[in-house]
Order: sequence, then C-alpha cells, then structure tokens
Amino acid sequence: MSVGHVARLMEADGIPTVVIGVKAFRDRLVAMHLPRTVITPHPMGRTLGAPGDHATQRKVILAALDLLEQATSPDVIVDLPGRYEPGK
Amino acid sequence: MENSKETFEEFKNSFNYGSRSDLNFKFLKNMSDEDASLFFQGLLWKMGDTLNDGDFSRLVEHFIETQAKAYAGAGRYAYDDAPFTPLRAPLTQLRLGLMSSSGHFVDGNDPKPFGAENMSQKEAEARIDDFLKVEPQLSVIPVDTPVQKLRVRHGGYDVRASLADPNVNFPISHLRELQKEGRIGELASEAYSFMGATSQLRLLNHTGPAWVKMFQEKKIDALLLVPV
Repeated sequence: MSVGHVARLMEADGIPTVVIGVKAFRDRLVAMHLPRTVITPHPMGRTLGAPGDHATQRKVILAALDLLEQATSPDVIVDLPGRYEPGK
Repeated sequence: MENSKETFEEFKNSFNYGSRSDLNFKFLKNMSDEDASLFFQGLLWKMGDTLNDGDFSRLVEHFIETQAKAYAGAGRYAYDDAPFTPLRAPLTQLRLGLMSSSGHFVDGNDPKPFGAENMSQKEAEARIDDFLKVEPQLSVIPVDTPVQKLRVRHGGYDVRASLADPNVNFPISHLRELQKEGRIGELASEAYSFMGATSQLRLLNHTGPAWVKMFQEKKIDALLLVPV
C-alpha cells in the first residue's frame, strides 16, 4: 500500500492527489482514507485497462482528472463501470 | 516431496513465490482450501462452456472476481484520519505530476537494486523478502520518454502487461495527449516510478517525506498516483 501512504503524505503537506486502483485493492484503499480514489474493474497489474485498450485507459484517466477537480472532501470513491476487455 | 504426497494447501500456496510461482495467482495463498477449490472447479466448468462458444470473458470475470475476493478486507494499514487538500484551480491552470509503483525505468538508467547489474524479473521475485526490508528507489522518467524506451521490473506482480503497454500502469502517453489537448495545463517535466513492494515503515518515515519535499520544490500542483 505504498501509493496510499504517498497520497496521505502529499495531502497532509498540501499536494492534492488522486489514486487509480483495481477492484482487488478497494477495501485496503478505503481503509487508508485517501482523499480521492478511482476503482477500475480490472485485474491487478493492468490497472487502467488491457494492453492496447487505449480507449478504456483514456476513460479511466479522464475520470481521475475529473475527480481531482470535483472532490470537496476526502474519502471520495468512484467505482468505474465496464469490464476488462483484452484483445481489443 | 519424494515420500510425502503434496497436500492441496501446499499446492495452492506454491503459486505464491513457491515452486509454481505465478504472481497472477499468488492470491490463492490468501484463500481457504475450500474457496480455492471452488475457484479451480468454477474455472474448469466455465472452460467447458468456453470450449463450446469461444467466449473467454467468463474466465476473465471469474479470475477478477476471485482475485478481489481473496484481497478483500482492510489489510494492515487502516487509519482514522483523512488528510485532504482541495485543488486550488482547474487543472487547465496547474502542473500535474505522475507517480506509479509499477517499477518502470528508462532503458540505460536501471536503479540497480542491491547493486545488481541487469537484475531479471525472476531474480526480483526471488528477492521479494529483501525488497520488503529496504526503502524504495525512485526512477525519474522524463515525460517525453518514448514508451519503447521504458523497462520494467517488479518482484510483486506479473509485469507482462506493463511490458507490452506501459500505459496500463504508467499512463504517460495519455497524459502527454491530454496536455496537448489542453485538459491539463502542464505536465511536470519528470514522471516517477518505483517498485511498490518495499518497507512501508521506511517509506512513511523517510522516503515519502523526501518525495513530498521534492514535489514541492518542483512546484507540482497535483499528483496522479497508480498503485500496482
């Protein structure tokens, strides 16, 4: 949970963050009380989407950037819909 | 194992840095024998359907669901407080940084963990316990680095997707594109990656605070983080 710790340190010292993590990490990220978290329905090691699935990867990034701007309090979790689609 | 039969527990645990090490399936060790056996049984049954219709998405979903179930729970780092800094302006006016625990680095700039030259992915997996005792090494990656020049090594996950397309865990191409399109004011000139399997204590008390200071000095206004 290295990245969760980095996020907490950054926020405490004035740098806003957004974390993108896979479903398997959801409970752990929630327990760390991060400011802004986007959860993807993907397997570990393919956080933003399958290799070559640039459309999905881009959607995930855009969701994270939107959340970065829109969150007004911590503990905001956005669960992205969709499926992991390799071979696209 | 010559004289004793391997138990099911030994079998499922062997995927977790054991004789059948496969980081995609290391979660099997977190599961009870019963849940793990249900995973295998379900996998084989669904494969029967896939043999008929060629649709392997059910196998993918079964894998993802089981992996999530195996990792469910708060884990070791549950906190009560929730530090928060609001964004002070729209992103179109800010400088955004990228940091991932994917273990990427630029070809020719290997962080050489433990002083090892050209450590392989296999060696990194074998030395996972050593990595968990030391602080992480940060790889600085200029944002204009072509993805073909990115290398990756990480003792904690299957890096094949990260190798095939670094953007799955280190979305540098997408951020460059979004900067060009004007969605982001400016991308910090350097992005960062490190191997996330590391000493959390050292990260919290030493490395992390040093990174915060560095980001402040580089006037990074906000950070996109990807845990792997």
